[in-house]
Amino acid sequence: MNKAKLLLLTVILSGLIALLLPSFSVPAASARLRVHFVHTAAGKPLLQDSLYLNPFNETYSVSKLKYYVSNWHPGNKGSCFLINAFSDPVISLDIPPGQYESISFLLGVDSVHNSSGAQTGALDPLNDMFWTWNTGYVMFKLEGVSAASKSDLNRIEQHTGGYRSPFATMRQVNIVFPAGEKMEAGKTYDLNIEMNLDKYWKGANEIRIAEHPVITKPGNLAVMVADNFPGMFSFKSFLSH
Amino acid sequence: MNYRIPILILAFIGTGLILISAGKEDGLGAFASTPLKWEIPKGFPKPPTNIFAKNKLTEEGFQLGRKLFYEGKLSKDGETSCGSCHQQFAAFSTFDHDLSHGVNNSFSTRNAPALFNLAWMREYHWDGGINHIEVQPLSPMLAANEMGETLDSVLFKLKKDTAYRRMFKAAFGDPAITSQRMLKALAQFTGSLVSANSKYDKVKRGEASFNAPEEKGYALYKANCAACHMEPLFTDYSYRNNGLALNRFTDIGRQQISGLAGDSLKFKVPSLRNVQLSYPYMHDGRIFSLPQVLDHYRLKINRDQPTLDPILQKPIVLSDREKNELLYFLYTLTDTSFTKNPRFAAPAPITIKH
Repeated sequence: MNKAKLLLLTVILSGLIALLLPSFSVPAASARLRVHFVHTAAGKPLLQDSLYLNPFNETYSVSKLKYYVSNWHPGNKGSCFLINAFSDPVISLDIPPGQYESISFLLGVDSVHNSSGAQTGALDPLNDMFWTWNTGYVMFKLEGVSAASKSDLNRIEQHTGGYRSPFATMRQVNIVFPAGEKMEAGKTYDLNIEMNLDKYWKGANEIRIAEHPVITKPGNLAVMVADNFPGMFSFKSFLSH
Repeated sequence: MNYRIPILILAFIGTGLILISAGKEDGLGAFASTPLKWEIPKGFPKPPTNIFAKNKLTEEGFQLGRKLFYEGKLSKDGETSCGSCHQQFAAFSTFDHDLSHGVNNSFSTRNAPALFNLAWMREYHWDGGINHIEVQPLSPMLAANEMGETLDSVLFKLKKDTAYRRMFKAAFGDPAITSQRMLKALAQFTGSLVSANSKYDKVKRGEASFNAPEEKGYALYKANCAACHMEPLFTDYSYRNNGLALNRFTDIGRQQISGLAGDSLKFKVPSLRNVQLSYPYMHDGRIFSLPQVLDHYRLKINRDQPTLDPILQKPIVLSDREKNELLYFLYTLTDTSFTKNPRFAAPAPITIKH
């Protein structure tokens, strides 16, 4: 087959595909929801490497803040996203149209995806959220510096993970819409979720930097941190376009 | 909203790309996936999971995995491959080394285990910290005292190599080199390392028979060893404390993974297959010969340890003569058709550090 014929065939095929595609490619049956995570500390927006005071009056700054949000409900079972607070805090979901009082997700990676071999996308070990010596994902990673930290170079290195009982660290998070929200097919909405770091330090449990600057393995300490996860996230605003 | 025009453009580009790739114009050869059949050896149980269920075993995938297994580029110094510490002639353990040599003249803290029949293993490493065969290679690749690399750097080096782009395309359909594909290819090679053709296997299949000392040794094995080193895999893959003192690395074994005090000093029961070749023995290679291993079980078990396996609370009594008979039996577990199988050998000569 010569090039001219190839080109002609390409054009014909493209035309056919273009005629067929619109009925499949527009998620007409879904609403598009953009979820923005808005990170705050001490009542202010969280900026990389800026100083904040935690509820125990410990000063600290954050250089790295990454975490997984997965299995969104409604309509997104099996979804998995990696949030990077300083570069990638927005995700996009296709939601079945309807009236909703809340939306929920799993903070972390479910046990199936922790034990199914080599993964790709958000779960690619290239994302530096994977423990190689004790298989499993770091669900939540916070690194920074604090004068209160007695570890080397005053660092904070808190890698919270572990998927096996009794040290599982994934937590269900429920975001309640105060007035309920209706999402219609073909429309785009923006949901802002506040992630308040104050509640990371002081929630169900107290995580003082002076006591626990470094967490790097599954266990009781990681579970204590994980128990604070659900309280960190709350509804901030909802916009329709 | 009108999606037709962008879709028309996309479809045009997409169709063009499909036609170009069908025309093999990338110069990287064709996608040629030749299915490989993986058979359960006669008398072996069905593996607990099918490790190839989501990683279709093909000749091209296997050959890519084989090349990667012996690839120095997976390490920081360019010459410490998987095969550097997992040597075929030693049933893929490190010959004559208690600990292995990593990059920058470093030492590992555990003895490199022999690699075979991995498809029957649920968890990998002496402490079972790795839950899937595909993710195991990340541990040595990224450990500072083993291959000392980063995943970005490994992929960068592989992507620059046309031979790899060709082999990734042959195995996976396009030349994209990703961590997932690299790990799946490695699993096709390591999962294919099946050893099931020792004299013992031939006796079981009726193709050979034990001589008198081997026969007596087999009976002694069944009476004294089989509870943990169960036939036909010669391990039950459990974690047990076999009465060794805590080592200089304060290696607590399984407890490090499970976080449970009851798992202190427990390590995975290794297979006795090819045990003649896989010395030195134990998780840290502290025992250099098989007679010394048997002496450990006869005479040296530390019974003060609270997590000592209950089976070992009762002394194992063997005369010197019985000890030798047991050794003769253990030698029948050596499978030279495995250690000399050219399909598992390095495709090109490699560096092995001594």
